Amino acid sequence: MQEHHHRTDKQINKELLSSIFATPKWWPIATLLCLIVYLTGMTAFGYMLNKGVGVTGLNRPVFWGFYMVNFVFWIGISHAGIMISAILRLTQAEWRRPITRAAEVLTVFSLIAALQAAPLVHVGRPWRADLWVFPYDFSRGIWINVKSPFIWDPSAVMTYLTASTLFVFVCLIPDLAIIRDRTKGIVSKIYGFLSLGWRGTPVQWKLQIVAGILLSALVLPVFVSVHSIVSWDFAAQIGPEAWHSTIFAPYFIIGAIHSGVSAVATVMVVMVWLFKWDKYITSDHLDAIGRLLIIVATAWFFFFFLEWVYALYTLEGPELAMRQLQVFEMPWSALFIVFVITAYLFPVPLWLFKKVRRNFLWMFITTISVNIGMWLERFLIIVPGLMRKQPLMFSWGTYSPSIVEILMVAMTFAWVLMGMLLFARVFPLIPLFDIKEGMVGRDEIKIGRAKVPASIRE
Amino acid sequence: MSTSHNTHQQTQFSKQTDLTEKLVGLHVSKYNKNRIFLVLLSILSIIGLIGLIVKISTDGFDNPAEWGYYVTFVVFILTTVQAAPMVAIAPFIAKGHWNRSITKVAQLFAPLGLINLILFVPVLCVLPSLSDGRRTLWFFESLKMHSHMPHIITSISFICLVLLGIALLWVSTVPDFAILRENSKNPYHKKLFSILSNRWIGTSKQWFTQKHRIGILGAFYFMTLVILNFQISSDFAMSLIPGWIDSLYPITHAANSFQAGVATVILAMFALRKWGGCKDFIEFDQFWALGKLMFALSLMWIWFFFSSFIIFWYGAKPTEKAIIELSMTGPYFVPFLGSAFLLFILPLITMPFNKIRRSIWGPTIIAFFILIGSFLDRLRIYVPAYQLTEHPNKHNIYLADIPATILPDIPDIMIIVGGISAIILAYTLLTKLIPVISIWQQKELSLYKIHKKFHRTEVLVLGKPE
Repeated sequence: MQEHHHRTDKQINKELLSSIFATPKWWPIATLLCLIVYLTGMTAFGYMLNKGVGVTGLNRPVFWGFYMVNFVFWIGISHAGIMISAILRLTQAEWRRPITRAAEVLTVFSLIAALQAAPLVHVGRPWRADLWVFPYDFSRGIWINVKSPFIWDPSAVMTYLTASTLFVFVCLIPDLAIIRDRTKGIVSKIYGFLSLGWRGTPVQWKLQIVAGILLSALVLPVFVSVHSIVSWDFAAQIGPEAWHSTIFAPYFIIGAIHSGVSAVATVMVVMVWLFKWDKYITSDHLDAIGRLLIIVATAWFFFFFLEWVYALYTLEGPELAMRQLQVFEMPWSALFIVFVITAYLFPVPLWLFKKVRRNFLWMFITTISVNIGMWLERFLIIVPGLMRKQPLMFSWGTYSPSIVEILMVAMTFAWVLMGMLLFARVFPLIPLFDIKEGMVGRDEIKIGRAKVPASIRE
Repeated sequence: MSTSHNTHQQTQFSKQTDLTEKLVGLHVSKYNKNRIFLVLLSILSIIGLIGLIVKISTDGFDNPAEWGYYVTFVVFILTTVQAAPMVAIAPFIAKGHWNRSITKVAQLFAPLGLINLILFVPVLCVLPSLSDGRRTLWFFESLKMHSHMPHIITSISFICLVLLGIALLWVSTVPDFAILRENSKNPYHKKLFSILSNRWIGTSKQWFTQKHRIGILGAFYFMTLVILNFQISSDFAMSLIPGWIDSLYPITHAANSFQAGVATVILAMFALRKWGGCKDFIEFDQFWALGKLMFALSLMWIWFFFSSFIIFWYGAKPTEKAIIELSMTGPYFVPFLGSAFLLFILPLITMPFNKIRRSIWGPTIIAFFILIGSFLDRLRIYVPAYQLTEHPNKHNIYLADIPATILPDIPDIMIIVGGISAIILAYTLLTKLIPVISIWQQKELSLYKIHKKFHRTEVLVLGKPE
């Protein structure tokens, strides 16, 4: 069954701009809560800057802990926007329309969260970050180290952030013009400035569509390169066992898509609950995203299987010991079980049932479960990989995060939530023009006594 | 309103009848002028068979190093011909319409796996047992596995793939067999199609079951193909090369397989359009769509390849340096360069251009070169892998000295030429039995596809049932 709620242009404008023109009661409270958590995290960050990274649980040899786990996690979530928006746009999937904007915005805020989570924080003295990028001593010929992940990561992430922001902006222009025409005074002027004189002429539409398609196609290689580069931060090293693996780049990407698409499904459910957009985001959309998730999750599980089976194939002592640590020694074994169950064994069998895929609560629970599992996956790659004794290492031990790290992890989650809430107050989270286009292009074909949903194609 | 509805129904009915007549006519009439071509293919196939007999009698199965090119060829057929049905499976699952006219073109490759299954027997004979002490995914010594586990399990997967392919082709052709049964005048043909159509009368229940069967068989075919790529690449290549541990290689192997499968279908489409009378059904749209897919798969292949390469190059452990030298910079440098150029660089510098991508010749020529590139890519891996089964370093952690290049001998060339000819011959003969353009899919498309006026222009409206 395909649900279809026909809405007029007027209804679409009214309902989808309701988040901007009316303030729901819960909004200030939710935003304030996020702000408090965010500021607490920033305070913890300030404390760490003042006292040094010694206030964290990081130690020798576990130099990377919660910060790096969080960095990889948010980079993963950021893959949602491009997966949903660019790929589904290029393949002309109709069901993408109400969810592209939220997915793209999630990408932007996740990337900023990732930047807050690790690269700057991790170095101890972030004010010297410029020295990674610019050569600082010409006379002695001291150049930046292009072989360093500190060059790779920020370059990739910043490129992705720029491209994603541009993507969001280009897709926003027609909607900004609608808001411009419904506001007055300085607010109208701001929206007018942002909408770049949009009047909806055929030339403007053509340019906007071409720009959307071009950006979709161009952002895809960036999307692939970002998480590949993040994975090579680990895989290019030969020290820690379990990291030097060729499969890391695609394994990280497919994992990122798994967690990112799940995050989009979570956001979809929350949007329906908070803004009552159930006429735009229907069970059909959840069903489609659920089916996509089954494929993505199973592909991810296959990569996970390959990663494990080839680790055992090496038959090398340290590698086997590391795997033994992950699976048989507490607390890692408990975390490993939770990870496998929450990331795959719990949600995927449930998604096989149509009733679950079409149920908002079940989709919320299962997609949250995936992201709990995927966060743990990154933790289990990073920490056990570092904590085992390596050759030429004279001290080693375990890792437990300090309160500073926990607060900063919470800060990144609060940042993304707050960002989404603020965005929803200023810009429409569902693209109005895309929904209207979908309504115009929707049709039905009569075959005998049956009516089949159809859409107009160029 | 009711008059317009009746008119619409009548138009649809007459369109459907015309379409059936046209497609049945196409199936019955074609290939009368191709006898010389078939005779030529038969002769070449016999030459291939002679080559195989000569190879067995001169080299025997005790000298695996001599069989590298043969294994390369069998794996090449697996990754091209047996991957081709994926072109029919993936869009069916995604409920695409553009592929309807080429579904059968792709599925007809599935039964050709039988030929490859026969060719696979010598490969099994030359693969050493696990008792030779090599590192293996079967953990031979630790788990006390049978020493011929790779032989047994891969054979099972191979047989499953072939059976699934045949089942898929049959299930999706049943409605067409029923149409041929109804339209056939020859009593023997009528009887044959009657058996093959399995009492199909086109009830709602039959259609429902048939569509689900296609989906399920297609999904299993895909999974078996990926698993077989995994088994072949690890047990028949990686485990024979000391020190080669590349967890991504099975995926790279499968990605190249999909790329080569698409290329195979494009070549078949071109041939059927040019010489098979299918010009009205295999149109520009199909070439364009598959060209884009082939280009995307080329990019995917290079990404997988590069992901492996950068780890080996950056890690620079002795084992990794040896692997790079063996398969890329050393004795097989030319095949490596050829494969990299044909599988990635050529599509990259040609396919972004609209003039090439949006044409029939463009994707066809690129597809041809991609198949050559795939063969070279298989060659640079499988030939040295079998060469190393006799190498003094075969039990070492890594290769201390890299063996020299091996070139194919005359029987190898005879087998390759004959094998390809046999595949083309079998495909051509199959098209005599099975309609190369799916009749029911075309009829279904004609129901889902209408043109209608929209404001001042005419648009295409495509139905998409759930």
